[in-house]
Amino acid sequence: MKKILFLAGILNLLFLAPVLMAQERFIDVRQKMADNLTEVKKAIRIHNNWEEAANYFNRARNIWEGEVKPIIIEGIKRDSQFQEYFERMKQVDEDLSHLEQLLGNKTDQEIEQKANAIIWAISHHPRGFDVPKPRYSLWDWAFGLGIGIGFCLFATFFGLYLRRSYYRRYKRENF
Amino acid sequence: MYADFIIIGMYLALMFVAGIFFSRNIKNTADYFLAARSAPWFWIMGAVWATNIGFLHGYLAHGGAAYEWGLIQANFEWFQGPFGYILTGIFFIAFYWRAGIYTVPHFLETRYGTGIRVIYSLAWIVIFIVTIAAELYLGGMFLKNILHIPFWPTVFVLTAVVGTYTLLGGLGAAIMMEFVQFIIMILGTMPLLFILLNLVGGFTGLKGVLIDQWGASLQYFTVLPDIHHPYGPGPWIIFGQCFVVTIGWCAGHQSMVQRNLGARSLYDAKLGYVVAAIPKTIGAFLYVVPMIFAPLIFARFGIFVEKADAAYGKLILNLLPSGMLGLFIAGLLSAGLSSISSVLNSSSTMVIKDIYERFMVKGKSDHHYFIAGRIATFGVIVASLLLVPVVLKVYLIMWLEQTLIAMALGPFMGVLVLGIFWRRTNTPGSLVGFLVGGAFAIFMQQGLGVHIFFQISWWSFVVTLITTIIVTRITKPPAEEKVEGITWESDFRAKLGEVLDQRAEKSGAKVEAIPKGKISRPSWYLNLKYWATAILLAQVLLLFFFG
Repeated sequence: MKKILFLAGILNLLFLAPVLMAQERFIDVRQKMADNLTEVKKAIRIHNNWEEAANYFNRARNIWEGEVKPIIIEGIKRDSQFQEYFERMKQVDEDLSHLEQLLGNKTDQEIEQKANAIIWAISHHPRGFDVPKPRYSLWDWAFGLGIGIGFCLFATFFGLYLRRSYYRRYKRENF
Repeated sequence: MYADFIIIGMYLALMFVAGIFFSRNIKNTADYFLAARSAPWFWIMGAVWATNIGFLHGYLAHGGAAYEWGLIQANFEWFQGPFGYILTGIFFIAFYWRAGIYTVPHFLETRYGTGIRVIYSLAWIVIFIVTIAAELYLGGMFLKNILHIPFWPTVFVLTAVVGTYTLLGGLGAAIMMEFVQFIIMILGTMPLLFILLNLVGGFTGLKGVLIDQWGASLQYFTVLPDIHHPYGPGPWIIFGQCFVVTIGWCAGHQSMVQRNLGARSLYDAKLGYVVAAIPKTIGAFLYVVPMIFAPLIFARFGIFVEKADAAYGKLILNLLPSGMLGLFIAGLLSAGLSSISSVLNSSSTMVIKDIYERFMVKGKSDHHYFIAGRIATFGVIVASLLLVPVVLKVYLIMWLEQTLIAMALGPFMGVLVLGIFWRRTNTPGSLVGFLVGGAFAIFMQQGLGVHIFFQISWWSFVVTLITTIIVTRITKPPAEEKVEGITWESDFRAKLGEVLDQRAEKSGAKVEAIPKGKISRPSWYLNLKYWATAILLAQVLLLFFFG
């Protein structure tokens, strides 16, 4: 029995390990890309160093092209968690190109905004944003009203039953 | 950053020393498992809320779910939570007191028999170990992300602090520490909301950006959404969550109930539970509402968030100045440690009282079970630590834990409600009903692929009710003396003292010296009916504005 449990534990770890590692790696590479984009903002805002900003930008872009994108493209085949990132890939590509232009032209007005947009695009977005507007069919109304009215009736009769059973045993004058 | 480390270090040291200080004078199992029945109502209030709110059911996972799905997550605080606290405080706690018990499964045995006690305790021991592992994982990950300290040493330090005072001091130390932590939690974490309101321009400003500019769904700002909502359909929140899971949680969760069994009087227990609904309501402003602001803050300031569970940590790390961050983390650690401590204490109580003393080693001295309780606490700590790596796999940890609980609480509520309000309910009926209801919950999730746990809990509750009623009807009714004092209709008023004393004496839960501060005739401001009414009115107002 002990041996079976031990083997089950090892097998479990073997199956879990690749999934866990892939998830952790996807987080790590996006974090690295976001960190580099943050450094781009700092290089301009604090040091006004365009060369340093360009270096950080190149690192961020390389991470995007070489690590983040391949993981998304591969991941979408087996896991719906990658769907949101897949849908935003085009936007990230466009924003990166735009940011590259801004850095090349040394126009600092929009750089922070654009870098923030890219960081937000590679972040996890709330799924609650995409929930459809409230909609009610005839069946929903019937279901809701039926259960609502039914519950009120039940609560009234059950309450009366409890009250009656209580006062039947303990006379009113005792309270 | 050094200031933050110093504050956190001081906080952990303080908790450790205070825990050991509160642990003195623990001599027997009634002290260890029931805090010598000495806690006043305000300790119960703080302890109940601090038990309920941790990393998992509060700040991190609950806050993460609020980031993911929006204001719907506040239904726990503004609707069903207070409702469950009040209903349990008024209706159910008295029956536990009258039964003279240590644990909820013990009550089930008193009412129904041994079989259901074993099944229920084993299910909850597993849930508790998963809960502690999840709390430790979330706490470790949170501190790793915020302070960039290694994961495992952090987990071991947290375990050592909370494990020491729980292991040495039992329920008494846990309740006192939870009360202290309750105050630190509120004071330490409240500033976040005001900072966010100031940054974004209030709730209206936030809605303006998210709905008008980003096109976010209106349902992101709704507490009770429509029936097609993928995470929490409104009607199912009311039926499955409010009427089954929440009341089942408040009346069936050993940690929540055990705090009330440690009260100095029944009235303290009831009042403590009812007024715990106040901090519960405020809780939404600590960890739900701030998370609705989080997407805008992340996008506006370019803050990377990798997954929903990490959102809360990212928010405070980037918004709070050094020093205040340390205080905030101390508040958060209070939440986590208090929950771990309560679950740890309760699981060891169940291991000893429901399994060890009942089936394995009977008739030993009180001191023997007291020492066994400490060993059990240590065992649960080790088991939970071993489980931490597995918890890493779960995408939304809260979802797993809630599903497990929904599968246990539906059947539990079925047999509890029938057991209290229908004295005809008997042992075969309850056992068959409980098993069929549990099996149906598993079938719904695994077989039918239902993932909304509100639905699972509701239908398993209904199936349990129907099955129990049918089997009870075709089998013999329970003996009169068996149900005396623990059903609604029984003549408990006349025999209450006698029944309570006999049961407490038999189970060893009787405490000789009752402190003088016991409430017998409460002042008007301690009248629980007034409090319950005021709290329910506040819920109605909140739902009116945010529903």
